[in-house]
Amino acid sequence: MSNIMSVLFASENESKLNELTIHRTAASLPFCGRYRLLDFVLSNLVNSGITTIGIIARSNYNSLMDHIRMGRDWDLNRKNSGIAVFPPFVTNNARDIYKSKIDALYSMSDYISRAKEEYIIITNGNIAYNFDYELLFDEHIAKKADITMLTYRSAATARRVLPVVGKNGRVTEFLFGVTAPSGEIADVAMNVYLMKKSLLLSLIEGAYSRGQLDFEKDILLSKVAELKIFAYDVKGYVALIDDIKSYYYASMKLLEKKARDELFDSYGNIYTKVKDSVPTAYGDKATVKNSLIADGCRINGYVENSILFRGVNIDEGARVVNSIIMENGQIMSGSHMSYVITDKNVVIREKRNISGFETYPIVIVKDKIV
Amino acid sequence: MKQKKECVAMLLAGGQGARLGVLTGQVAKPAVPFGGKYRIIDFTLSNTINSHIDTIGVLTQYQPFELNTYIGNGQPWDLDRLNGGVYVLPPFMRAKSGEWYKGTANAIYQNIAFIDKYNPTYVLVLSGDHIYKMDYSLMLESHIKNRADCSIAVFEVPIKEASRFGIMNADATGRISEFEEKPKKPKSNKASMGIYIFTWQKLRAYLIADEEDKTSQNDFGKNIIPNMLNAGERMFEYSFKGYWKDVGTVSSLWEANMDILDKDKGINLNDPNWKIYARNSAEPPHFVGQNASIERSMVSEGCEIDGALKNSILSHSCVVKQGALIENSVIMPGAVIEEGAVVKYSIVGPNARIGKDAHIGEDLSAQTENGEWEIALIGPEQEIESGTIVTKGQMI
Repeated sequence: MSNIMSVLFASENESKLNELTIHRTAASLPFCGRYRLLDFVLSNLVNSGITTIGIIARSNYNSLMDHIRMGRDWDLNRKNSGIAVFPPFVTNNARDIYKSKIDALYSMSDYISRAKEEYIIITNGNIAYNFDYELLFDEHIAKKADITMLTYRSAATARRVLPVVGKNGRVTEFLFGVTAPSGEIADVAMNVYLMKKSLLLSLIEGAYSRGQLDFEKDILLSKVAELKIFAYDVKGYVALIDDIKSYYYASMKLLEKKARDELFDSYGNIYTKVKDSVPTAYGDKATVKNSLIADGCRINGYVENSILFRGVNIDEGARVVNSIIMENGQIMSGSHMSYVITDKNVVIREKRNISGFETYPIVIVKDKIV
Repeated sequence: MKQKKECVAMLLAGGQGARLGVLTGQVAKPAVPFGGKYRIIDFTLSNTINSHIDTIGVLTQYQPFELNTYIGNGQPWDLDRLNGGVYVLPPFMRAKSGEWYKGTANAIYQNIAFIDKYNPTYVLVLSGDHIYKMDYSLMLESHIKNRADCSIAVFEVPIKEASRFGIMNADATGRISEFEEKPKKPKSNKASMGIYIFTWQKLRAYLIADEEDKTSQNDFGKNIIPNMLNAGERMFEYSFKGYWKDVGTVSSLWEANMDILDKDKGINLNDPNWKIYARNSAEPPHFVGQNASIERSMVSEGCEIDGALKNSILSHSCVVKQGALIENSVIMPGAVIEEGAVVKYSIVGPNARIGKDAHIGEDLSAQTENGEWEIALIGPEQEIESGTIVTKGQMI
């Protein structure tokens, strides 16, 4: 129904997630008990009627492919449109592993121009929010914009792109890196752009032919005067996950009902891969406070201010506080955990004491036994 | 050309399940929620696909709408196939006539054309209202080994309860010599589970003959099985060991749910080699609040809990507010338990709301003389006003 297609970058920004992205792309990072980050963007697209979706994966995309399969869990296994994954070297235009958005988009320009839709949304896969892109489209048309980008109010960091938004929402300048006022609350770019396909293709072709690599600096910043770039401010819960601190903070924020309602109960359902796990079983000795618990867990210990993913075991006498335990984690009896993020399949043996700090949670890598 | 199938399953899901009272007012019994995230029919459907049988006809008649949408194209059970898969088969009009399914045998008779299309050697007849995990492929092996015309799955029940079941009497080789429907003085304790494997051409002939007999009730237990026995066909029992429960009454439905909480009862749902599949709702993980206490219970996704839960099953998308107490109960999907409400030994139907300080059910120490628990039952979508008292065994 929609006249918009989308290209989704699965690997952008992954470098700062360190241990959590050794085995996976940022988009396939597990989030909030049963999701992968990508689920939010994919569900938003589907709920907005956007069903032609190309996903660009650069490296470590095994977990991404396994998660998406044919796209059935998002109703994207269609005859017309649907999901297409672009690993490196997939087209004749691709001569190297993608270095940036520009050469990746250039390598898939055939796919983009062949699609029947007139508009395109470029997005990263590391954003958790619940949004209807129809709102963005209506605003784009009303303002007669060339490009409309999503922004949200958040703390500025050196890694983020900060558009300077004038009256009426027009972007007049971009701040990057050291020029950004670190720590202050500002309009932060979500790296989501809507424009006409024809505009994107001509911008990409121009930049690629000059060997330019940076979509934001080489295209947006250099053309900020001649193109009408507008910002659309997204309200409510938005989590742009680009380092471990933001991952931890965005996760814990969901222990608040307001944040949960905004993320899960506003525009549409958030879909994920169906795993057919059983409901969670609580034992005689279980005590759980202020926590999010996914299906398939067995809990017989103490859990507070924490998030447990599917299939986690908390034995009697174990204590998990302010922590995130990913899928199939096992915390054995007598262990105390505080401010810890354990990746998938981690086993914490009896009587281990592991403790990080709120601003520096300890990450335990996938499949490790402590 | 259709590929020939060795075995086609026919699942009888048309019964009303009147003994489940208000729970089956709007839906057929197989579609009643069970165990937090399942429906009763999920067990039979999952058994079938786990036994590598991929062609299933589901015979519906009573209130089929919800069951039909639930089954859909069969994708949650991996039954969306090019050749085979799951088909919902309601009664239909023909050129000259058209009628409801008169009995279990008639339901299969009316779908002879469906079965013939797959040209199977064997047909597995199932009912959609039992909770159990069973590998039908082992039963099929035994059927083939015995060169049987019909195999009947049996389950050993306590001899004092045997007179409530159809009882098989068999010789040492397992060949059935006699079948008694609800005998006053049972000669064995082997009860029919309502699971049959027939050699299709044999059954086909008996179904056609049965249809011509105007005095027949067109029922497997009352007509087809006795007729085949009388004619001396090779009929064998197949003994099933493990958990099996008929959930036809409010009391037994409650009991079966409670059995999930008891590791020793043998219905282990968390078995990666024998998953029970269900159509999933898209819900976030459940949230446990600051004031919650949860003991010996099962909780599904999408719930918000700030009250006390003990020895209970909480299905997906339920809300339990601060100060509410739920004990020994089954809360079905989407139900809301308001502040201070107390729910004991009850089943609360889907999307029901229990108002503030209402008291539902009472503590029970034992079954009544007829072996039933006096479970209070709140029907689907019911709004129970604040302070209402619902006594044991009451149904609203």
